Amino acid sequence: MRLDLRYPIGLLLTTYGVILAIQGAIVRATVLGLNVNLYWGVIMMISGLVALYLARRRSPSARGDKSGG
Amino acid sequence: MKLASIDIVLILIYCAFVLAIGFLLRRQMVGSAEFFMAGRSIPAWMAGLAFLSANLGAQEMIGMAASGAKYGILTSHFYWVGAIPAMAFVGVFMMPFYYGSRARSVPEYLKLRFDEKTRGFNALTFAVMTVFSSGISMYAMGALLALLLGWNIHACIAVSAAVVLLYIALGGLTSAIYNEVLQFFLIVFGFMPVAYLGLRDAGGWSGLAARVPETFVHSWSYLGRADANPMGVEWFGMVMGLGFVLSFGYWCTDFLVVQRAMAADSMNAARRTPLIAAVPKMLFPFLVIVPGIVALGLTLHPNPGAAPLLPTLADGSYDYNMALPLMMSRYYPAGLLGLGLTALLASFMSEMAGNVTAFNTVWTFDIYQSYIRPRQNDAHYLWMGRMATVFGVLVSMATAYAAMRFNNIMDMLQLVFSFVNAPLFATFLLGMFWKRTTGHGAFWGLVAGTGAAALHYELTNVMGASSLLPKIAVMYSYPSDMAQNFWGAIVAWTTCFVATGAISLVTAAKADSDLRGLVFGLTERSTDRERAWHHRPAVLAAVVLTLTLALNIVFW
Repeated sequence: MRLDLRYPIGLLLTTYGVILAIQGAIVRATVLGLNVNLYWGVIMMISGLVALYLARRRSPSARGDKSGG
Repeated sequence: MKLASIDIVLILIYCAFVLAIGFLLRRQMVGSAEFFMAGRSIPAWMAGLAFLSANLGAQEMIGMAASGAKYGILTSHFYWVGAIPAMAFVGVFMMPFYYGSRARSVPEYLKLRFDEKTRGFNALTFAVMTVFSSGISMYAMGALLALLLGWNIHACIAVSAAVVLLYIALGGLTSAIYNEVLQFFLIVFGFMPVAYLGLRDAGGWSGLAARVPETFVHSWSYLGRADANPMGVEWFGMVMGLGFVLSFGYWCTDFLVVQRAMAADSMNAARRTPLIAAVPKMLFPFLVIVPGIVALGLTLHPNPGAAPLLPTLADGSYDYNMALPLMMSRYYPAGLLGLGLTALLASFMSEMAGNVTAFNTVWTFDIYQSYIRPRQNDAHYLWMGRMATVFGVLVSMATAYAAMRFNNIMDMLQLVFSFVNAPLFATFLLGMFWKRTTGHGAFWGLVAGTGAAALHYELTNVMGASSLLPKIAVMYSYPSDMAQNFWGAIVAWTTCFVATGAISLVTAAKADSDLRGLVFGLTERSTDRERAWHHRPAVLAAVVLTLTLALNIVFW
């Protein structure tokens, strides 16, 4: 079984995103008037979830139907 | 700079991930082909991002931001002139021979194309160079973390070396490539906010342009004369020296990057690898150079109530190397700061892993298997690869400590390596595209080119700068060390080109049948007309070059 790299990438970005977003929501430190931890955390989390979605969508066809893709 | 516990947690999560990838890939490492070449199974997008990431060392990130602060947008020439055209060339024209020859390394290609002595020369200089340069960047990284965070430099060096050693010894090139892709995303996510926030603080591009000298926001307008721009180079030296000789010499022949493309899962994927890498590469100036220019802008004309960003050194100049770290410490609160430091650490590790995997391959195949213990079974070479990984990391660490004590010796070594590197592309260009090129021509051409680079250095100096090595006689003075470097490369390349050609004409060439798959004209062209446009290397190259041209015009 090969490791699909999109899983670790998605997992890492989501983990970072969640931690940053929580930090932003609780501490509310602002830079130039922006709650950068919250905003950037949400963006990273969404990117991570997209990577996880792509990995999940791809894996059944990769296992079963070899002609796909 | 003070770290909060959340920052430490983020850094530790990153270390856990890279090590986990090494452990998960451990079982796949059943033979030397898996360990050294990732079983030639890497999809194009991953090979492309790893190709880029292996080159994105921490020194590159910090150095490019420093250059941004020192020279402005002129620094983008290291990307738009000094990288993209060469990346397009290696993908379209050279990869068919690298990948098609089934060589396992760049020195091995030289052995197939020319002869044993050319391979030996390249393998030996490359192996020595990679361990030294990874040691030098290890030292630079440790020194930076010690300065910024007050961490113990010995602990920094030991821990980062141990992490890289472990994930490569476990998972070989596959692990290095997987982690390079992961590191690429961290680098982008870690540096993007500093570029955005810095530019926002400086009042956008126009606000920034008003704070810095006019020459800092134009990439070509002031290249007519060497004394009109802060780099001290005119357009010809820039285009020929950096854009042609140095850039093609690095991107087209350096095994550190070429190894990533050679690990791709098909010829088509191998050819697309550098072209995929070129897309983010052309955007990197916005990520690393722009924060550097912002740092200078906020030093010359700080916002009301803010202190100048860059500190002044004893000699009155600014401490440019602190541009990126100080921008981070100004704009990143606890949390984001951990992400930013992780990005720095990721860039450091990706480069070091690139060096270590290239070293263990060249050592095992081109030195150990060729000269020390030939004809052993595959398991023996797999074992040797793991040993070479340990050995390579240990020598790098020793180099880091040597750099700590004798700064000058390291600078001198790098200088001597630059002599060896400068002529290389002439050898590959002739070897790949002119079947008459011979092994004697290639070898003695390289020797002549290296000698010419050394002689050029000995006969010229840089105005107002002290020299590392004593000079024989000074016949010409360059306005900047960059000009001296670019022109030295031009001299070395031309000498190698002429000498290789001349010697080839009077020595016996290999038979055509021995050169099939190795030389243009004797190799079947791969046809890709039936593929979708984004799977055709030539079309991708045209797209990438057009976009680069557009960027040059926008920042003209």
